[in-house]
Amino acid sequence: MAYKCSRCKRDVELDEYGGVRCPYCGHRVLLKERSRDVKEVAVE
Amino acid sequence: MMVPVRCFTCGSVVGEHWEEFEERAKEGDEDPEAVLDELGVDRYCCRRMLVSHTDLVDVVSPYQ
Amino acid sequence: MPGEYDVEFVERGDREARFLVRGATPAFANGIRRAMVADVPTMAIDEVRFIENSSVMFDEQLALRLGLVPLTTPPEGEFVEDDVVTLSLDVSGPATAYSRDLVSGDALVTPAEENVPIIELKEGQRLEVEADARIERGQTHAKHQGGVAVGYRHLQRVEVVGDLEEFEDEESRIVRGVIEDEGELLNAEEFDNDLAKRYPGKEVRVEDVPDAFVFHVETDGSFTVEELVTRAADSIEARADELEEAVQL
Repeated sequence: MAYKCSRCKRDVELDEYGGVRCPYCGHRVLLKERSRDVKEVAVE
Repeated sequence: MMVPVRCFTCGSVVGEHWEEFEERAKEGDEDPEAVLDELGVDRYCCRRMLVSHTDLVDVVSPYQ
Repeated sequence: MPGEYDVEFVERGDREARFLVRGATPAFANGIRRAMVADVPTMAIDEVRFIENSSVMFDEQLALRLGLVPLTTPPEGEFVEDDVVTLSLDVSGPATAYSRDLVSGDALVTPAEENVPIIELKEGQRLEVEADARIERGQTHAKHQGGVAVGYRHLQRVEVVGDLEEFEDEESRIVRGVIEDEGELLNAEEFDNDLAKRYPGKEVRVEDVPDAFVFHVETDGSFTVEELVTRAADSIEARADELEEAVQL
């Protein structure tokens, strides 16, 4: 899963063993990046 | 956040007048009543859309 | 059914008009009004594909804003239901994305209003979208309403019936809409909606003129008032034809 560390702004890959932690700076707040897919939205 | 495109009540397009209204009546010192009359925003439903609006883009943009 | 209709314009503009219809029943007047609001199809953005959106607003919020931007509606018969016109928008910050930045794939369908702000973009933010516009009726969604604030009032006839007594206080007499004074049509705003200002010292009587209606019509810019009214009348005719056919033996 692709995340971004909120402190050092580096891309982070998470697996199921490492826990939620940035491997570069140890920060525990990660942000999920917007997917690059084209998103279709109907106007309601 | 941004000005509503249309008046909630009657559906007339009010967004186009926002920038002029803001410049002249909110930041400038013209009388809002006179500015709205001049812009052709006649009904009170449309007038309140502009009078009561606050732009919040600058407030929320640091938290992206 | 009354015979001839008589239509007379009181004020006439592209986007806003006031006109008098004589010889219409209240039911027909209301039918025209309803047709203008809900039955005349107009173009509007119906689906948006977000390629990139790093602005401060959500995709759904922006989609709604794009949907509410009025688009010019092509002449009748050019488009049928489910025909799609694609518009695209690509703006990078720092800048504001306006409705005029929408680039249309068809010259007949363009934003009717150029200066509607869609979203303010800060440094590094970008909005790139592709939108599909479709033709639909006002019944399905308010963005497809061609007529804005459409309404009508009875025409009022004002008659001077005598003088006020010498020392009687002058009280204001407020009327709205359009009055008829000896065959002349007058918008009540011209005398500040107060009959006492137009007829000082006179006693006046106001009565509704039967079967005469003053319509006030405004459009969102999709087409002219004239176009809206004729299309509304056509839609009523089409419905009547349909009914006639359906009940024939």
